[in-house]
Amino acid sequence: MMQNPYIPYPVDVRDIIVENEAKDIKTFELVFHDEKDRERFAFRCGQFAELSILGAGESPIGIASSPMETDHVQFTVKKMGVVTSALHNLEKGATMGVRGPYGNGFPMKRLEGSNIVIVAGGFAFTTLRSLTNYILHPDNRARFGNLTVIYGARSPGELIYKYDLAAWAEMEGIELHVTVDAGDDDWTGLVGYVPTVLKDVAPSADNAVAVVCGPPVMIRFSLPVLAELGFGADRIINSLEMRMKCGIGKCGRCNIGEKYVCKDGPVFTLEELRHLPQEY
Amino acid sequence: MSDLEQTLRETARRLLTEEQVDLVIGFGQGTLPLRTTPRFIRDPDQVDQLVWNLSCENNLSTYLKHTQGKVGIVAKGCDARSIVGEIVERQIPRENVVVIGVPCQGVIDRQAIEAELGEREVLEAQIAHGQVVLRGADFEEALAVREVLCDDCIVCHHKNPPLYDVLVGELAEDGGDVGEYPTVQKLESWSHDERWAYFSSEFSRCIRCYACREACPCCYCPECFVDQSQPSWIDRGDDLSDIIAFHLVRIYHVAGRCLDCGACARACPMHIDLRTLGRKLEKDVREMYEYESGMSLEATPPLSTFRQDDPQEFIK
Amino acid sequence: MSKWTISKSDVSGFLDELHKSYQVFAPLRREDILVLERVSDQDSVVLDFYNTKQAPKEVFFPRSEVLFSYRDGEVIPASLSDERRVVFGIRPCDARSSVLLDQVFDAADFQDPYYVNRRQNTLLIGLACNKPLSTCFCTTVGGGPFSTDGLDLLWTDLGDRYLVETITERGEVLTASSSLLRQATEEDTTAKAEIATAAEQMVSGPSTEGVKEKLDGMYEDPFWDEVHLKCLGCGVCTYLCPTCHCFDIVDEGRDGRGQRVRNWDTCQFSLFTHHTSGHNPRPTGKERMRQRMMHKFNYFVANFDDIACVGCGRCVRECPVNLDIRAVIESITQIGAG
Repeated sequence: MMQNPYIPYPVDVRDIIVENEAKDIKTFELVFHDEKDRERFAFRCGQFAELSILGAGESPIGIASSPMETDHVQFTVKKMGVVTSALHNLEKGATMGVRGPYGNGFPMKRLEGSNIVIVAGGFAFTTLRSLTNYILHPDNRARFGNLTVIYGARSPGELIYKYDLAAWAEMEGIELHVTVDAGDDDWTGLVGYVPTVLKDVAPSADNAVAVVCGPPVMIRFSLPVLAELGFGADRIINSLEMRMKCGIGKCGRCNIGEKYVCKDGPVFTLEELRHLPQEY
Repeated sequence: MSDLEQTLRETARRLLTEEQVDLVIGFGQGTLPLRTTPRFIRDPDQVDQLVWNLSCENNLSTYLKHTQGKVGIVAKGCDARSIVGEIVERQIPRENVVVIGVPCQGVIDRQAIEAELGEREVLEAQIAHGQVVLRGADFEEALAVREVLCDDCIVCHHKNPPLYDVLVGELAEDGGDVGEYPTVQKLESWSHDERWAYFSSEFSRCIRCYACREACPCCYCPECFVDQSQPSWIDRGDDLSDIIAFHLVRIYHVAGRCLDCGACARACPMHIDLRTLGRKLEKDVREMYEYESGMSLEATPPLSTFRQDDPQEFIK
Repeated sequence: MSKWTISKSDVSGFLDELHKSYQVFAPLRREDILVLERVSDQDSVVLDFYNTKQAPKEVFFPRSEVLFSYRDGEVIPASLSDERRVVFGIRPCDARSSVLLDQVFDAADFQDPYYVNRRQNTLLIGLACNKPLSTCFCTTVGGGPFSTDGLDLLWTDLGDRYLVETITERGEVLTASSSLLRQATEEDTTAKAEIATAAEQMVSGPSTEGVKEKLDGMYEDPFWDEVHLKCLGCGVCTYLCPTCHCFDIVDEGRDGRGQRVRNWDTCQFSLFTHHTSGHNPRPTGKERMRQRMMHKFNYFVANFDDIACVGCGRCVRECPVNLDIRAVIESITQIGAG
């Protein structure tokens, strides 16, 4: 009997972390009711799930926790519309649903053995944070080369995963650069747009792959910097957002050309994107 | 090609070459018998595509929602009234429209012909000498034009555009009396139960394609109430109550502005009677407020106007 | 596979036989519209027709269906019926569309149980098209008036009788259980062959040879600036189309009780790809018309090696502004030619 891909797995909200000063980005830590569901949900970095709130609907959200964290799964959600607002109204202990994991995820075989440069802006950091934690895990670290993470937000209050940023700053095996567009009285770190910091850091393109996620303007200015540093289009990886409904390539909504962002993506190399219509 | 077509083409050519407009919207030959199709012409050399006949059924003014710059537009009586409405409702500035008014002799009711012919496909149609000759693979039938014209066109009393910058053709004689509403009077004679049964049956065929909404010049909301999710006013499934709610609310949204051009009913693939409700509201507005939509650039629709001294007799 | 004939006077008896074991769907007249619906005792099946107003895709993919209901946080999946059904009198173009839709709904990675269940439980008895309409163009998109794609049985009208040909094992089983069928003679099969040849020649449409390759290079072509202008942006073409399959998923209900519903949707609506952020990758009719044509004649071909159009002609006949897909294909293939 085939599994019904439209039925969400029931999960409990074990914890809610308010990530930013504006209080409109929250991380939800979810625990599956059923162990079998948790096993079925085995996921890779870069995949997403449809978060389901009965009565409100569903929203496709990138998975924010590393696959190595096996007893829960985390999603970081910005409050934008009907479903995300309903999510934000949930309290600890509430029950909701998760469908997935969907999408192609990051190309881990390509990333293994390479130096990784992560370039992230604002709220799009979520799946890259999953990737960073995955790489840093002792079981995995040796399979990857150097890890450089450049992450920025509009202001110090808008940085998310501050607890991870603090922990990473103390670790070996990761070169971390955190920046803000504009500092405040307490901020002692870097000030500058992500593309500018990227240019200053100038990570080597030698045997390196860049993974870039952020607001369109950040991506637009980061790509030329990467190109100048010698990153070929097939060594620059993006994760796209698109309006979705089914998440499984049937409802016809999320295509870019012949590719469905939910199935053939959301992760694409720049090389692949150049072959697709500019319709996103 | 008739004289009228010739004049229409010359007019379009002149407007384009003199750069009075950037675009002319008119009718061109369709790909099926008894069809014309909207044509968007920018190049004066293409004006010969324009035609005029009893199949010019679309209300082209609905395109004015999307056009940029100055537009010349071919308009029958009802279409020109729609344009007046759009100008009054600030959907398009008066100076951006050149109305090429064409007095209307009515349009052919294709749904009636389909019903008459049943499963016989028309391969060729010719309209001449007051007759429509229809030819198929193994039949030929001649029908009097009057038999196949839209019923509402026959009693139409606004065949002449109330607003035009150029008039192509002779002014037409209006049909019927101003107070004549045969289909509405029939509806009004029914009991509530009979009306409910009739409309439930009609609307049960609705497939929520929204062709009625898109064809209607009055429906220009960037986000229709049907599509809103915060709050969600009606559901989008096939529950009959939601379907009826959509149509009733839409008709009330256009009440006082709808002039019964029939574009909605002609667009509907399921042949739902969409006109009678609109017509009923149009009659009510005329009787209660002495207002006819689309006749004057100065008047504003009564349901969109408020004055402090408005009498409120009906809610006292 | 076997060949039989059934006299026209025995057809209602055949349908009665079917009623004993199946829910029967057939062309019926509702007011002046021909629909494909479940046949009840009072209905009389129409067999002298061109085609139903709507495509039979509704039999597998209803316009609105409940995926599951919920109550106080509990999800109750909609039960999948194991009722067996027969669609009687489906045209070859429409039957072929089910094969195309299978690629989407019965894919290797995810299967849609609602669709797949209905497909598995439904037999298709086709009626060949002796007299295709002038708006039919099945032969140019991989089909034909006597095509057997997707059918379990193919019936051909031979005047006073029908030729009944079994196409699949299921069709074979069905014919074996009827007492109203006679073995077909050579005369019958010859008669069918003649009708079929004539019918194929009656179908004409724009050639689609090379249209996929042509469209590969056309994304930025100024052609799209003009072709969409008269399109109203309604859903008539897509909703009546046998191969269009876009849908929306919404929750309906209140106070903790309701259902998650799947409704048809269309890439032609302005809000189809509208993001919550306000961004819309297809903001005008131009992008949306391009998407429709590209999806049918390019993207679907790239993914499944088939054009997502069966040439039924419904969009041609029913478009409120006579935007003719055949003319669009012809224009596309003509670009740069001559």
